[in-house]
Amino acid sequence: MSAAELARLQFAATTGIHWLFVILTMGLVPLVAFMHTRAAYTRDPAKKAVRERMTRFWGQLYVINYAVGIVTGLVMEFQFGLSWSGLSKFAGNVFGAPLALETLIAFFAESTFLGMWIFGWGRLRRGVHVTLIWLVALTAYASAYWILIANGFMQHPVGYEVRGGVAYLTDFGALLTNEMSLTALGHIVLAALTTGGLFVAGVSCFHFLRGTKETELFRSSLRLGTWVAMLASFFVVVVGELQRPIIERTQPMKNAVLENSGVAEVQRRLVEQFGPGDYVPPQGWIHLSMNVMTLLGNTISTITFVAVFLLWKDRLVRWRPMAWLMVAVIPFAFLASVAGWVVREVGRQPWIVYGHLTVEDALSHVSRASLIVSCTVFITIFVGLAVTNWTLITRFAVRGPDATQLGVTEPLPEGLPEQPTGGADDKQPVPAF
Amino acid sequence: MSLEIAWLGLLGLMLAGYFVLGGYDYGAQMLHPFLRDGGDEQARAEKPEGGNAALDAIAPFFLGNEVWLVAFAGVMFGAFPHLEGTLLSGLYPLIVAILAGLVLGNAAVQLRRRARGARGRRVWDALIVFGGAVPALCWGLVVGLLLHGVPRRADGSFHIGFGEVFTPFVLVCGIATILLFAAHGAGFVAIRSGSEMASRARELGAKLLLGAGAAALVALLLTVFGSGASMTNRGASWVIAGALVVALGVAWWSFTGGHQVRAFVATCCATALPVLLVGAGHYPYLLISSAGHGLDIHDAVTDDATLKILSVFGVLVVPTILAYQAWSWWAFRGRTGLRHPSYF
Ligand code: HDD
Ligand code: HEM
Ligand code: HEM
Repeated sequence: MSAAELARLQFAATTGIHWLFVILTMGLVPLVAFMHTRAAYTRDPAKKAVRERMTRFWGQLYVINYAVGIVTGLVMEFQFGLSWSGLSKFAGNVFGAPLALETLIAFFAESTFLGMWIFGWGRLRRGVHVTLIWLVALTAYASAYWILIANGFMQHPVGYEVRGGVAYLTDFGALLTNEMSLTALGHIVLAALTTGGLFVAGVSCFHFLRGTKETELFRSSLRLGTWVAMLASFFVVVVGELQRPIIERTQPMKNAVLENSGVAEVQRRLVEQFGPGDYVPPQGWIHLSMNVMTLLGNTISTITFVAVFLLWKDRLVRWRPMAWLMVAVIPFAFLASVAGWVVREVGRQPWIVYGHLTVEDALSHVSRASLIVSCTVFITIFVGLAVTNWTLITRFAVRGPDATQLGVTEPLPEGLPEQPTGGADDKQPVPAF
Repeated sequence: MSLEIAWLGLLGLMLAGYFVLGGYDYGAQMLHPFLRDGGDEQARAEKPEGGNAALDAIAPFFLGNEVWLVAFAGVMFGAFPHLEGTLLSGLYPLIVAILAGLVLGNAAVQLRRRARGARGRRVWDALIVFGGAVPALCWGLVVGLLLHGVPRRADGSFHIGFGEVFTPFVLVCGIATILLFAAHGAGFVAIRSGSEMASRARELGAKLLLGAGAAALVALLLTVFGSGASMTNRGASWVIAGALVVALGVAWWSFTGGHQVRAFVATCCATALPVLLVGAGHYPYLLISSAGHGLDIHDAVTDDATLKILSVFGVLVVPTILAYQAWSWWAFRGRTGLRHPSYF
């Protein structure tokens, strides 16, 4: 493999894996925040206890996933400088701003507040504690916004002018309202909610299939998850279709490949426009990915639509094949969304900044040997982390609410599940204010 | 004051903040096998599975500390994009090592308690130490390289290899930093834990500081004899280096005298000062090949229009960040103990 190919592999693999964590984080955090709010403001002590345990159970799965999401993000932040210094030379004036603002506005708040939320059980006042998780949710979405502003600029540059081979920012407003970014954001938010909803619904179904005692907790979770997944997966399809006309206007080649017609014609036009070169991205990948995404999208929509009706009188969990199906669809959303990114990112090849800078020209002067080492190191670590993450999530999801460690003041005795008390946090209310 | 200098100051603040806050995290990570409780009866009764004073001490702040590094990279990309591209790709092997260490260490700290048996936990425990030691050492090497100067080519790019890293000066900087971070971590554990643990941490801290001081002295001597740092602003550099020596001395003296808060304040200064040394010692250069040559602030900074926009946000956001970070320190102040949820 050439240096460029190695750098692309490294970038694609690390972002792709980062994305697999991020999408679940973004999907779960609003649900956890909602559960926490409901628990905090319930009067009836029995119900409150159940809802609190529900929050801690899903909260813990979210926090496990978040841990790995952050560490992969750390690597992402350095990738542009490491492998694509041509990108910062050409577009640094424009492209750097959203990334800087992302770290200052979103990540700082997200990490600080999440740390406080994790360790705030029984230490912070109820209102403050609930506000923290909402702030975490808000900042997670803010970070998605800023990263998509950066990504949207690469897909469809706006608000800049080129002087002497370098891009300068001329219209910040245009950059922030790039339609290529905003529709993608809409699609991504809905994709994340679909993922979160399916995850909650599927895990709940699994506990019913195993005959859980926690029926109230999981019934309530199942309802929430199914409704969220149904609504979000309906609209993810709608917004997905809305992206097509934008692609048609801004990226004729991607459009031709997706339509599977006129590729040769567009190639000829692009040669006229940008000089000789091969402007056709790998078509097979794009077709495959687009088909996977739409097929899975429609499948998820249909299944969750039916599932919502079956919620009535618990038919969904009493009819075992359907319950197993809900467990089986959990991975679908992850697959669909990775496929979606392949369409978006591979489809814009050979450009790194559409129409201005090709991937080859953006590569840093890094030796092949270094790239082979770093590629191997990162991919090994990331795959290892992904496997660890999903093993842990599965383990804690399967063990159920009794094994939750989040929010308990004393560590659970090794191997023994905690006594089903009403949540550790109402025992010692010592607010720090 | 021009906007450029303000943003350089902010970049320095982020890196210094990271050295101070991440520094004690790495220190505590490296020392955690030596600072377990279990010594005294009470601790064992409270935490049947053997609590871990060092990890409990850093836990509530851990996520908020690591993000200073992310912000440093973000600010560098936003305000000094031409520095980012050159610096990170030039230091490629070191940055990759730092990242690998960070990723494994961060994940290990957060997931350690999720491990099932003792064996799983031992693996995570080892990774926690690795993830503290590797970034600490490599940041020290980076500081050493930046002080000494890097081999810049005609087009401004550079590359480091074994030849650049394995010089006495750079290695000594690495050793001084790893020892200093460890001592700094010991100081933090001391102020956060019960008296028995605190005195153990203080003892450890004093010993580590002696080592750090000795390594720093060697670096200084190498510089005096011409094979160390080549500073653009000699006067300022001497003042800062002097302050560093004083900070190390005060820290050692406070550790041995049992003044742990003072000791921690001193190690905070000692971890932040190297950043100031790189920044002020070379100004207006951000990256030098030898004293008075290199990439200066005007080459590195982003376009004026972008900087103005960033500044509008910066004025609002930076005080807010400092405020809520301070709030989180306040909310989790005090010593660790039974009342603290120990999730990590
Ligand atoms: C749960 C995940 C999921 C599901 C079910 C779908 N998508 Fe999607 N899709 C994504 C998750 C996703 C994504 C990962 O979020 C992408 C990548 C970039 C983006 O903006 O969203 C994406 C990208 C993406 C793109 C490329 C945008 C570009 O190149 O700029 C198109 C055209 C569609 N989607 C269209 C659809 C259609 C027509 C779907 C329904 C049948 C659909 N998606 C279902
Ligand atoms: C998180 C979801 C993402 C995934 C799965 C993803 C996937 C990919 C893939 C598959 C490639 C390789 C394309 C090829 O070489 O054929 C790539 C390249 C790249 N992507 Fe993404 N991407 C994601 C998000 C982003 C974002 C948000 C940005 C920018 C802010 C970005 C910037 C880049 C860059 C700079 C490259 C390297 C140059 C190139 O090959 O075009 N990516 N990505
Ligand atoms: C579609 C693409 C992306 C989205 C929606 C996204 C969103 C997020 C979110 C929500 C988090 C919080 C951690 C988690 O959820 O697990 C996160 C972490 C992070 N992401 Fe991404 N990200 C994307 C791609 C990227 C890229 C391309 C970069 C590189 C600049 C990046 C840099 C980071 C960093 C540095 C963190 C860690 C932040 C911290 O320390 O708190 N992300 N990302």
